[in-house]
Amino acid sequence: MGTISLTIDGQGVEVQEGKTILQASREAGIVIPTICDHKDLNPYGACRMCVVEIEGVRGFPTSCTTPASDGMVVKTQSAELTTLRNRTLELMLSGHPNSCLVCVHREACEKYRPGATKAGRATRCGFCSNREECSLREMALRAGENELGLPTLYSAHNVERSDPFMDRDYNLCILCGRCWRICEKIHGKPAISIINRGKWARLGTAFHKSHVFSGCTFCGSCIDICPTGTLTDRFARWYGKPDDRNLSACTLCAEGCSLFALTKSRRLVATRMTSFQWEASLCALGRFALAQIVNAPERLIRPAVQEGEDQIPCDWDTALELAASELPRFTESLAIVVSESTTREDRFLYARLAERLGASLIVVPSSRNGVEKELQGFTADLEKGRFRAVISGGDFLSAELLKGLNFSVVIDCLPSSGARGAKVVLPAAVLSEVEGTWRNVSGEVKELPAVSLPPGQARPEWQIICQLAQKMGLEGFEFKSAREVTSLVGSDPAPRPFDGEPRRGLRQLPSRFRGHLAADWVRPLEAFGMPSTPLEEMTESSKEGFEILERREVVPNMYFIKIMAPQVAKFAKPGQFVILMARETSERSPFTLVDWNGAEGTISLIIEEVGRSSRELISLPVGARVAHVSGPLGMPLPMEKKGTVVLGGGCYGIGAIYPIARGLREAGNHVIVVIEASSSYLLFMEDELKTVSDELIIATKDGSRGTRGGVQEVFVNLVQRGVDVAMFVAVGCTFMMRMAAEATKPLGIPTLVALNPIMVDGTGMCGACRVSIEGRTRFACVDGPFFDAHGVDWDELFSRRSAYSREEIEAMPQMVDLNALIHPHGSGGGCGSSCSHR
Amino acid sequence: MTAMLTEQQFDRIFSNHSPTRDSLIPILQDVQDTMEYLSPEALEAVARYLNLSENDVYGVATFYAQFRFHPPGRHRLKVCLGTACHVRGSGLILEGVSRRLGVVPGETTEDGSFTLERVACFGSCALAPVVVLDDKVYGRMTTRKTQKIIEDTE
Ligand code: SF4
Ligand code: SF4
Ligand code: SF4
Ligand code: FES
Ligand code: FES
Repeated sequence: MGTISLTIDGQGVEVQEGKTILQASREAGIVIPTICDHKDLNPYGACRMCVVEIEGVRGFPTSCTTPASDGMVVKTQSAELTTLRNRTLELMLSGHPNSCLVCVHREACEKYRPGATKAGRATRCGFCSNREECSLREMALRAGENELGLPTLYSAHNVERSDPFMDRDYNLCILCGRCWRICEKIHGKPAISIINRGKWARLGTAFHKSHVFSGCTFCGSCIDICPTGTLTDRFARWYGKPDDRNLSACTLCAEGCSLFALTKSRRLVATRMTSFQWEASLCALGRFALAQIVNAPERLIRPAVQEGEDQIPCDWDTALELAASELPRFTESLAIVVSESTTREDRFLYARLAERLGASLIVVPSSRNGVEKELQGFTADLEKGRFRAVISGGDFLSAELLKGLNFSVVIDCLPSSGARGAKVVLPAAVLSEVEGTWRNVSGEVKELPAVSLPPGQARPEWQIICQLAQKMGLEGFEFKSAREVTSLVGSDPAPRPFDGEPRRGLRQLPSRFRGHLAADWVRPLEAFGMPSTPLEEMTESSKEGFEILERREVVPNMYFIKIMAPQVAKFAKPGQFVILMARETSERSPFTLVDWNGAEGTISLIIEEVGRSSRELISLPVGARVAHVSGPLGMPLPMEKKGTVVLGGGCYGIGAIYPIARGLREAGNHVIVVIEASSSYLLFMEDELKTVSDELIIATKDGSRGTRGGVQEVFVNLVQRGVDVAMFVAVGCTFMMRMAAEATKPLGIPTLVALNPIMVDGTGMCGACRVSIEGRTRFACVDGPFFDAHGVDWDELFSRRSAYSREEIEAMPQMVDLNALIHPHGSGGGCGSSCSHR
Repeated sequence: MTAMLTEQQFDRIFSNHSPTRDSLIPILQDVQDTMEYLSPEALEAVARYLNLSENDVYGVATFYAQFRFHPPGRHRLKVCLGTACHVRGSGLILEGVSRRLGVVPGETTEDGSFTLERVACFGSCALAPVVVLDDKVYGRMTTRKTQKIIEDTE
């Protein structure tokens, strides 16, 4: 094929024949905005962002679908093109939550809240886990338009969370089609497609069935190519943008697929395909389970030695010395069992140790049946008394077997019932934590860099063996790094092939890792029929606790919940809160009372879904019981006559100011209620608030209703109008309250805010809710929640609120409900309410 | 009504069409003519015959208003989205009804009472917007009036 030359933006460009204008521009370093296009996909021409002008051609063709031709003169920038692109963007954004993009407080807000809030549905960028990497957002901000000419249409799809590993929020989908196109490109027959049409069009599977049954292999490509936050990796999503990416490989089966290890602050957050091609694809284990195994909260973090029936944690020296003093006694009656998923260096050193001690070495493959087969002969030997001591690099032997031996060392990363029978347990670094090399079934040697930090005191196995051998006085173990071992490994055998094709079928995944059942540590794998050890039944007491009488989602993420709690209802006063625990095992979380009825014995709350505890609460159906309700807590707000009071509420605070308004009005005040939301469709309780206020003023960040902006803008307007404000009370997110405080401070208007930092016990004991007011330490749970806004140390409050963010992310549930997976031939005909559209 | 056609019925339908993508719509039409709707099992068989992904077939089928994916309910509620009705707000009616019944067009309510459908034009444009319940035509409709006829029918 020859080359052609054309002119783009006055620049002469030579490209190969057959390239599109977009490709030609890219080669010349000219940037044309695109959304639906992707370098690994065929041109699609759906979004119309990439329009250009071509001399002699009428209209504005899309550059991604138009072939470049010889002598063409192309313009990629002009006033008309900008208008056209902005209009296209506006259209796309009208069907996509956009309030953060046009919000006047965006920059300040993002400074205080650098991470996204872990909300249910994304109703704005601040609630979207893709915020830092979103192409749509980037484009909108670059266009710099902060007026949207079109109304926002929120489609109100439910977030799809029933599949393993993926969360899908179609409220964010712009129908660019990248996801199904990449799926088709990689797998031939796509597991997803655009279904329905017009307003109802969305991505989905045939008959809404679960991805487990739609032909999806859980390669994750759709997630990785989606330009918006629609498709997400449930485990990785809230960690934010990874700060490093390294080429590595998966060692969970003999295939040894290459992958990119994505890390953030040296923690493995995800593993991904190295390119969008079938050859590079990963199975569900490599794409989703690997990071979860590495990050399992149960990981072994300290050495331990057996004393009587117990295993007592100890330091490395104690554990190694005990092992080093015992092991040499066994020589020929010692067996060393290691997994093939360890690095070549680790295995080389295990082999050298076996050789020096005269012990037998058994290498266990990671195949579904391999473990059992390989170990059959060995356990038979053990039972016959052939061996009297064992070093086991995984969960290979039962506690009984180990107890029957004279000595045993388990070197592993996860606890197991077998390890409980061992004399010494040593915590091992694994997978992305270990440097080394790995040979896969086709003989290729792959590099494994150490990209994440091992938990606690865990160490890589090469190091453990060297230290152990040196303590035994053996020579040939003086290595400072795994790299020094690599050249000695020589021609090791390739691992035995895995009996299945994990990348082609969910039913062919390797079920074990170092002898452990993978699904025990990564429970969603159970959805693929992988074996696991049954969990102890969660004892849900249905008779005790506080009954939920009413529950409805008033606006996206915001739930009205009425609970039977007579003791709270009897004593509640405006401004007080309760602490709830959905289950006995849940975290305790505070919620401001919205209403109560002493006679009925009921209390009402507005709960916003923002993280694990609130998700547990809002998931309880009517009739279920909340394990604990304690309250009323906190100092009530005094209901005194002051004159004109302004009450500002945002998010859940819209509900929280309702009883305060009612109380202050009854006390004879002129009550002005101001409520703010990002967009009009997020406003609620307007009718109720009208009945308890003299004036109700609305503010929205996108200007879709009322004043554009927040409570603070309305407040300034009121003061300019000459309203003499005696007191201002603000309840909402910390950012909103801070903004309100900053608006009232210069005017010297007394301002109260309800501080809602993390509370644990709610009695002033734990100190978790410490806040600084005018330099003095106070406890929000007993001294608050209301404090003088002008005395609050806001910076400290923001840093305290973010102190728990990593734990909060880790607490996000990963489990799936196996009964909720929609089966192809499941419930027969009508899917009715189980459909995602409501 | 069956959830599946017999092998002979399928063979008869397939024998009239070549196994290429172009035959997809005509085959789906034939299947629906025979069994009144398109069941998951039937779509699976069609996808297999054409060597396509079921999801792809479902995507194409849901693009067209004429296909149903559930056995028809006891009542069929059709909302006209023809030009005349559309400009007079039938889109809003469809949306309201869809919300009220908890189904999207083409689906049947869980209790099997209503199937919601959208149609292109009834030829009763003078009465726009038009809603047809079973065989009765209701003209100059609003969301509220439509809700009312649903309640009366229930
Ligand atoms: S995870 Fe892979 S196979 Fe599954 S839908 Fe996405 S791209 Fe397709
Ligand atoms: S889910 Fe993502 S990739 Fe797929 S169409 Fe929607 S925005 Fe595009
Ligand atoms: S097939 Fe799966 S388990 Fe095996 S190496 Fe590849 S990603 Fe890992
Ligand atoms: S990038 Fe060309 S139309 Fe989307
Ligand atoms: S919640 Fe523990 S001291 Fe306040």
